Amino acid sequence: MSLRAAAGQAGGTLALLVGAFLLCALFVVASGKDPVAALTVLLGYTLGTANGFLEVVVRSIPLMLAGLGVVIAFRANTYNVGADGQVIVGAIVAVAATRGFEAPGWIALPFFLGAALAGGAAYGGIVGWLKARYNASEIIVTIMLNYIAVQLLAWVTRGPLQEQMHIFPRSDAIPGGALLGILIPGSRVHWGLVIAIAATLVVYAVMRFSSFGFQVKAVGENRAAARYGGIDDRLMIVLVMALSGGLAGLAGGVEIAGVFGRLEDNFAPGVGVTAIAVALLARLNPLMVPVTALLFGVLAVGTGAIQRQLGIPFPLVWIIEGVVILTFLLIGHLRARRLAAAPETGT
Amino acid sequence: MDQIFFVGLFAGMFRLAMPILYAALGETVAQRSGVLNVGIEGIMLVGAFLAVAGAVWTGSPLAGVGLAVLGGMALAAIHAYLSITLRIDQILSGIGLIVLGLGLSGFGYRLTIGAQKAPQVPTMAKLDLGALSRLDFFGPVFFNHPALIYLGLLAALLLWWFLYRTAWGLEIRAIGEHPAAADSAGVDVARIRYAAVLFGGAMAGLGGAYLSVVALGGFVEDMVAGRGFIAIACVVFGRWNPLGVLLAALFFGMADAAQIRLQALNPDIPYQFFVMMPYALAVLFLVFFAGRAQLPAALAQPFFAGRARRRRDERAGGEGTRLQQKERRS
Repeated sequence: MSLRAAAGQAGGTLALLVGAFLLCALFVVASGKDPVAALTVLLGYTLGTANGFLEVVVRSIPLMLAGLGVVIAFRANTYNVGADGQVIVGAIVAVAATRGFEAPGWIALPFFLGAALAGGAAYGGIVGWLKARYNASEIIVTIMLNYIAVQLLAWVTRGPLQEQMHIFPRSDAIPGGALLGILIPGSRVHWGLVIAIAATLVVYAVMRFSSFGFQVKAVGENRAAARYGGIDDRLMIVLVMALSGGLAGLAGGVEIAGVFGRLEDNFAPGVGVTAIAVALLARLNPLMVPVTALLFGVLAVGTGAIQRQLGIPFPLVWIIEGVVILTFLLIGHLRARRLAAAPETGT
Repeated sequence: MDQIFFVGLFAGMFRLAMPILYAALGETVAQRSGVLNVGIEGIMLVGAFLAVAGAVWTGSPLAGVGLAVLGGMALAAIHAYLSITLRIDQILSGIGLIVLGLGLSGFGYRLTIGAQKAPQVPTMAKLDLGALSRLDFFGPVFFNHPALIYLGLLAALLLWWFLYRTAWGLEIRAIGEHPAAADSAGVDVARIRYAAVLFGGAMAGLGGAYLSVVALGGFVEDMVAGRGFIAIACVVFGRWNPLGVLLAALFFGMADAAQIRLQALNPDIPYQFFVMMPYALAVLFLVFFAGRAQLPAALAQPFFAGRARRRRDERAGGEGTRLQQKERRS
């Protein structure tokens, strides 16, 4: 691409970003508050204070894991909108499987996290199977399963898994051996961060270098062509959804083991949807997922801060996420158009 | 389970089916024209909020509904621009719309109505159709509903007639099946798709408005609770035919009405399982009705107008279609 075209694209991208920014600022103004003050508080707390930044890191861990799952699914052109449900089911399975179970850490923790991964994988795999076998839209099925999982969690934390005291909708504490210890003393940042980074590298390596990764991409680009080329596209869809759900389930398990220490009702609201934004912003590149996850962690923690300090309603975070998704789609479109136009204009 | 139970069940079926029906009918038209809008959940949420806001501010529920329709069209316009003009992935654009709608409705609510103390939301009265309404069983079940319910049923019939018995309907269906063919026949694919998507947004807004102004008489955050997605499922079950969609929506209305009552009848069973029912049913239906689905062939595929025409014209050396001549003249 010539310098002029590159500059034009950068200019267009910048214009879009500025536009998105101003749009969000508009909503802040609509709430009667000063957008500059809001931005100052948002960035100041999340990036300026140690507390704030460490909180951002904690929040971004499940987003990294779930985001990786979404990346894999989207690469195969299966729209896994069900990470929310898979996170929940993963957590439920892990807590249920280790109930009353006392074992040393090196057994309990892998078992706990493995159960979480298995639970999420099963919940996602069903969707993949339904799509492969019955051509059932994975968008609708995953979203329906989300709502079902929410009800399941509500029941389980008030019923079979509820704490002995039967006061709150939550379970008893999970076995001590299954807990993820604190990584950075004085903060809530736990060893789940290491798991998330490790998962990032593994997913990247698999997608980039393994034949499985190749098949995933092939099915995503052109399912019929992949099948013609000898790839079992139906199996791939099931595996992709299972893997995607498994990572989301792992996110749920990590949240329980690292942050809550017990199963709680409504413990991770909106992680699944945000994970989609994380994946899209990372342009479906696994290595970028931790970066975009941190970004959305900043957004989540920051909007919480501006709600507390300035009284701006929290749903602003969803507005910003929606604007981010749409802006990103626009930027992506701009890039595609520039690339297509270049040869014709001869620049 | 006596007469009162069944009366309540069937009357409830109509009431609970309405928001899904409106959204599903709108989505049927949009999908028939070839555009997939998964964001109607977000549009319904915004519609629900705007309807309550409008009703409280003006004192008229109808004004609220009107505001919801306009809001729905505005949001749908964003999706239409991204999907039709820019040809961006329709599913991703729809997902963005869901999140945006969730944020706009929650944010708007907390800033306005939510900040006041339990405002009185003017709702729509049930119609009194004289002797019909006082019939023993059929009265409350069929003849004692708010006007919006009858409007919804009528809309289903009208849309069926529109899609299958008018030239416009034929154009829409043609665009959804084979836009290139329609394009070379001089049909303005983009403009009709825009109209279809905007209509879908208006109907989704109406569905959300029904939920808040007619059904509940208030706004609760995330009150749509997945009905937008169930509506999309209804479009599939109804085979993209408004009458089929009506049946599907009534079915879900029945399932919803039943689960509420079953909760009361079975206090030993945790109520969460009954709440799960409609969602589980949607999945089951997708599985059992999937095989024979005849979806619009060009659904969710971006259309590049003019390509086929230009290629054909270059080869033939002809003067082109009416649209091309118009373009050349302007």
